[in-house]
Amino acid sequence: MDIKRDYYEDIELFRSGTILVWSILFLIFLAIFPWLIQKYHPLGFSIYIANLIAVHAIVAIGLNILVGYTGQISLGHAGFFAIGAFTTVIPILKWDFPLFIALPIAGFISSIFGFILGLPALRLKGPYLAIATLGFGMTITTIIKHMEFFGGRMGLQAPKLEFLGTPLKDIHFYYLIMAIAVLMTIGAIKLMRTRVGRAFIAIRDSDIAAEAMGVNLTYYKTLSFAVSAFYTGVAGGLYAFILGFINPESFHLIMSITFLAMVVVGGLGSIMGSITGAALMTYLDIKLQAIQDLPAFGSALVVFSQKYMSVSGISNIAVIVYGLIMILIVLFEPLGIFGFWIRTKKYWKTWPF
Amino acid sequence: MLAQLIVSGLAVGACYALLALAMVIIYKTSEVLNFAQGEMAMLSTFVAFTLLDAYHVPFHWAALLTFLFAILLGIFFEVVFLRQAKDPTVLGLIIITLGFEMILMGFAGWKWGPDQRSFPFPVSNIETYNFHGLVISKINFWTIVVSLALMFVLFLFFRYTKLGTAMRATQQNPIAARVMGIRTKRILSFTWALSSLIGAVAGMLIAALGILDPPMMMDPLLKGFAAGVLGGMTSLPGTAIGGAILGIIENLFGGYVSLAFKSVVAFAIIVLMLCIKPSGLLARHYVKKV
Amino acid sequence: MVKKSLFLMSGLLFITLLWMVPLVSAQAVRGVTDTEILIGQWGPQTGPAAPWGAVARGTDLLVRIINEEGGIHGRKIKYFLRDDSYQPAKTKAIAKEFVEQIGVFAVVGGVGVACGMTARDYLMENKVPWYGPVTGVYNWITPIQKYLFALYPLYDDEAFNLTGYLYEKLGYKKIAMFYQNDDYGKQGVMGVERYLLKKKIKLVEKVSAEVTDRDLSTHALKLKNSGAEAVIMWTMPTHAALILAETAKIGYKPQWATSNTLSDSALMMQITKGLWAGMINSFFGELPDSNHPLMVKYREWHKKLAPQERWGVFYYAGIIFAEPFFEGVRRAGRNLTPETWVKAMETLKNWQGIGPPVTYGPPNTPMDRQGGKHVFYGKVRADGSVERLTDWIQITK
Repeated sequence: MDIKRDYYEDIELFRSGTILVWSILFLIFLAIFPWLIQKYHPLGFSIYIANLIAVHAIVAIGLNILVGYTGQISLGHAGFFAIGAFTTVIPILKWDFPLFIALPIAGFISSIFGFILGLPALRLKGPYLAIATLGFGMTITTIIKHMEFFGGRMGLQAPKLEFLGTPLKDIHFYYLIMAIAVLMTIGAIKLMRTRVGRAFIAIRDSDIAAEAMGVNLTYYKTLSFAVSAFYTGVAGGLYAFILGFINPESFHLIMSITFLAMVVVGGLGSIMGSITGAALMTYLDIKLQAIQDLPAFGSALVVFSQKYMSVSGISNIAVIVYGLIMILIVLFEPLGIFGFWIRTKKYWKTWPF
Repeated sequence: MLAQLIVSGLAVGACYALLALAMVIIYKTSEVLNFAQGEMAMLSTFVAFTLLDAYHVPFHWAALLTFLFAILLGIFFEVVFLRQAKDPTVLGLIIITLGFEMILMGFAGWKWGPDQRSFPFPVSNIETYNFHGLVISKINFWTIVVSLALMFVLFLFFRYTKLGTAMRATQQNPIAARVMGIRTKRILSFTWALSSLIGAVAGMLIAALGILDPPMMMDPLLKGFAAGVLGGMTSLPGTAIGGAILGIIENLFGGYVSLAFKSVVAFAIIVLMLCIKPSGLLARHYVKKV
Repeated sequence: MVKKSLFLMSGLLFITLLWMVPLVSAQAVRGVTDTEILIGQWGPQTGPAAPWGAVARGTDLLVRIINEEGGIHGRKIKYFLRDDSYQPAKTKAIAKEFVEQIGVFAVVGGVGVACGMTARDYLMENKVPWYGPVTGVYNWITPIQKYLFALYPLYDDEAFNLTGYLYEKLGYKKIAMFYQNDDYGKQGVMGVERYLLKKKIKLVEKVSAEVTDRDLSTHALKLKNSGAEAVIMWTMPTHAALILAETAKIGYKPQWATSNTLSDSALMMQITKGLWAGMINSFFGELPDSNHPLMVKYREWHKKLAPQERWGVFYYAGIIFAEPFFEGVRRAGRNLTPETWVKAMETLKNWQGIGPPVTYGPPNTPMDRQGGKHVFYGKVRADGSVERLTDWIQITK
């Protein structure tokens, strides 16, 4: 069943008809999502969260290419995210670039920085690489903060987007982001099935063995950083327009860590895992803060806080729950949500046994 | 000014070194990057604060109780969370420590609220020792002494005691260590207890130097991590050298070049240095066999 | 083949659906029923900026006081507090939740420039009144917004006048500045430098700290070497405590002066271990122990309704930032809509609660939407209480 007869089967986007059908169903779901949702929920809020999830999914895919497929760690992706956001907004603000030109340019600028960060990564591993990438992320935001060109510490307001003279609404932006996210997902899946992707995976499994097999380490490691940075940069550009205002302070270390958490919780080395990880973590992050508004549980928490804790810090429960969920997923599914998916699939395939 | 900058750099470097020490001990035995280190220290410091402030326990008792708490906290984390992970990846372990960090941060915020507090400490952070015009505050001086002493003791411990040898064995080859009769699980718990204890010492000193609030350890932890990496992540004397270099570079750069880039310049130098010595200053560079 | 048709299909779907999504229908008056007025506020309750979250909880106290006293025109106030952890992405989600899911009449307060800016245009497009963002920057009044009323005295003008006070009244000519490297600190520098430029002198030293810095020994040394007689500080409490300790260590004791964000003298006294004494501070609200009748009333309610909260400046600032809003609701009468509220707000002339006197007018110039134009100065005594040096001084023309 798993034997491939020729190369083209190997690089096919959809491994089986089932996946194809599900993918189409998912795309249809994305397309009619605003329709479905508006019967039960106000549109803008849900669309906003969907947009945020899509942007985070692009970042998570990009980071997964680096972390999950190539085996390099990065604690500095907020830096690429910031580069993407600022280099998208500035050309549009200052020189009236259209979005569909500014966005790829931002991606490429970001990937140049990715290439630069990839150079020390040729020699560094583990904690050493972690510190180098962490420093990179902090340096980028500090530089942006100190250059008046980037609006300095005051931040920048993203311009209103127009298409053929009509201003784009959230809902139009939703389709734009979804289209880009779908394209980039397909791109990532494709890339991982080609020579490049296989080289990445070889480096992850053992870089020395990969080099012995003729994989050019310098080329592929920096390429992995560059591709990852490209994804993150494009996502950053979109993020700027979702928020409408960007400020270097927002791109801090916690953001990089959240990205990493999305990838690990979703499942290392799985594109679909990245998407689910991004969706889960983003949704929790926004929804958990209303935890003390839950009917019975919430008031019990308030009483408990009054007795034993402090009332002023009650919102911290959300942080605790978030951290706990993160730990539990990694504890019980080392492969993340993706691992859970594989297990369920196996269970059904082999069912009566 | 130059001499004063170097002295202040050494003083702040000692704090970095203490945190680096705590991280290095863990990394040495289990190859986990413990991002919860700072928050574990912060929580212990808050416990000490509560004992001192609300129950008026004398300082030495409060410190002892806090150390006990820190040890239990370290063991708790190892046994309840880390040990449960089945064939974890390195990244998975990092995420677990990050999750634990969030839990601790949330807990501290919930229990003590977000207000800044001053940590009552017997040694003043304003009174100073004066060496021919060079000023160092009493607490800074004692921080340097404590970190050097701790490092020396730990160095001897790892080199000459049975337990220390067992810890090194566990790091180098856990399976072989277990075959030789070392209870590796117990060794790991012990490592976490030890690291959490050192963290608590660092936390109390850092709180006394500045103020006490839930996010107080975020910046020191990063710097401590950087100092550890600079020194070589597996070397105990390396942490002292890493911390001192980091503190001095930061202060000199801040004093003579630019204050704005002071906190990031350290990272730039570390990256450059690591390009030359990829495993830090004092660690031997192992190349994995294939 | 399959691939191509897939792309075609999804593409078609996108295009058709793009135009099929209908608009959300508009309600009569959002957030106002016969018995209730819904209002919301975001504020960081968790994370590094959490001390500012006290503002949002202070507003909660005022709401409960108003409800205990019978509400406004027969309507009780329902207040929603949301934690945004100081992350703009969350703030925008909260703003959308407020408007679309909860359906609030207005937003009150809200800490943070970046946080507020992500929500500003959205709130204004939806005609949601927004009263009193808790930052004194120009973003709220330029460009001028119909439904957005600012209260917080502008940092820029505050710094300008504080420098003037030091220079003219107290006679300090060598002035240095220590500030936090963000939008807040930058506004402070702007004001100080603007004043000194007028006098044709320069700051003797300008030292900035990054928000995350926890080692300020170099900063202290630089300040000392500048030989400044007075140092103006534009930071958060943590940095203020750290710099005072570091300068005390190296024996440098200039006259310090600072903005109203650090006017919680009791807290500052405690975390600086007494070094805060002698600080010249500007204030934009009554002192915590003031005999102002309203303060007495609020303090009593505070003991009754929220005894577990510390009566700090950030906490009762939550009252200051909401008082004029409710005055507007009162003046708008029973027929409360965003329009009548805006009209009512524009009738406020030198109206004063426990904050600065507030004046608004029809939106012609940005200053018609800037309510707080006054501060007063005080000097911190050795026991942590404050000696009031001046009456309310107008800082913004």
